[in-house]
Amino acid sequence: MKRVVAVFRAAFVALAFVATLAVAAPVYPVVAARSSLAFSGTQQGERFNGVFRAFEARIQYAPDDLAGSHFDVTIPLKSLDSKNSERDAALATAEWFDFTHFPNATFRTVAMHMTATGVVADADVTIKGRTRRIAFPFTWKGSASGATLDARVTLDRLDYGLGTGDWADDAMVGRKVEVTVRLVLGPVVPVEVPAAKPTLKAVGQPKAKR
Amino acid sequence: MALRSTAGGWGSVTRAFHWGMLLLLIGIVSVGYYMTGLPLGAAKLQIYALHKSIGLTLLALVILRALWRLSEQRPALPPMPIWQVRVAIGTHLLLYGLLFLMPLSGWLYNSASGFPLQWFHVLNLPALARADPHLKVLARSLHEIGAGALIGVVALHMLAALKHHFIDNDVTLRRMAPWRGDRF
Repeated sequence: MKRVVAVFRAAFVALAFVATLAVAAPVYPVVAARSSLAFSGTQQGERFNGVFRAFEARIQYAPDDLAGSHFDVTIPLKSLDSKNSERDAALATAEWFDFTHFPNATFRTVAMHMTATGVVADADVTIKGRTRRIAFPFTWKGSASGATLDARVTLDRLDYGLGTGDWADDAMVGRKVEVTVRLVLGPVVPVEVPAAKPTLKAVGQPKAKR
Repeated sequence: MALRSTAGGWGSVTRAFHWGMLLLLIGIVSVGYYMTGLPLGAAKLQIYALHKSIGLTLLALVILRALWRLSEQRPALPPMPIWQVRVAIGTHLLLYGLLFLMPLSGWLYNSASGFPLQWFHVLNLPALARADPHLKVLARSLHEIGAGALIGVVALHMLAALKHHFIDNDVTLRRMAPWRGDRF
């Protein structure tokens, strides 16, 4: 009997270990309707606010597994809205975001580490084909129904070639742009069983010719 | 030339308002019609900023001018038919009305479009309304129709002044002239 219990215990521990590995840093789904990616700049001495109405974020995070945590965000730039149609039209041009050639901006963390003030991610921000590594401090609040992630960083628009030529003047459009991230994350999705995938594919796709 | 107007002629303050504002009006109307066709860019934004700065200057001037005008006596009109007196009064009221309407509708248009408003990089002014596409269309129409009306009324005012000077040979134009005294 003792042997049986020991075997079961060993099996349980092993299973738990494997399970821990599998879900160490879970992926949270973003509740789009309650999340926002906003920015705030200055134009002719006055603050204006804008948002990116669409973005795709893959948020994999566990406070106790920073090495296994990873944020990967893609922002379709044409979802930009600064509540001013003329300004939006200007921001689409080659001197600003150049939507035609650079439709997306991306944000990818490369590492995360604990500091005295909280967790800070080192992240590569790519806009208009230019990549800059930034420090991205954020606040994570876990709850029974998911989590929230809040962050605010300041970017220099000229680092990314935004507002070239006559636009570079800081008095007309300020160089500092404050980006505010608010992500509301739903409950963690159960990890998919790999074996289920081929079945889904077989159903979803036409059969290959032999 | 006295600062204040007398029964016989306009004072130097009124004349300065009259000709100074005319110069600014010629400038702002020219810039106004030129700037709308410019391609989207930093230059366009700067020319719009100039237009707005001159417009705010004119708004301040017309407020001061109206207060000054109310505070002093108006020189007597030269003898003329009563209908001409009525047309003259109507034209002057319309001029004042349009001089108020133009900067205010422009300011409203700017606010409804969601643009900042800055007077020559010195002073930022609050928005008159929130960004609103419907209000934007309305304010824009007011501003455009107002511009046409202002040009028309100024032309009428000018033709009337020339008619008084060359046809009636009266003092109407001479007593507003920037370079002459009150007495003729």
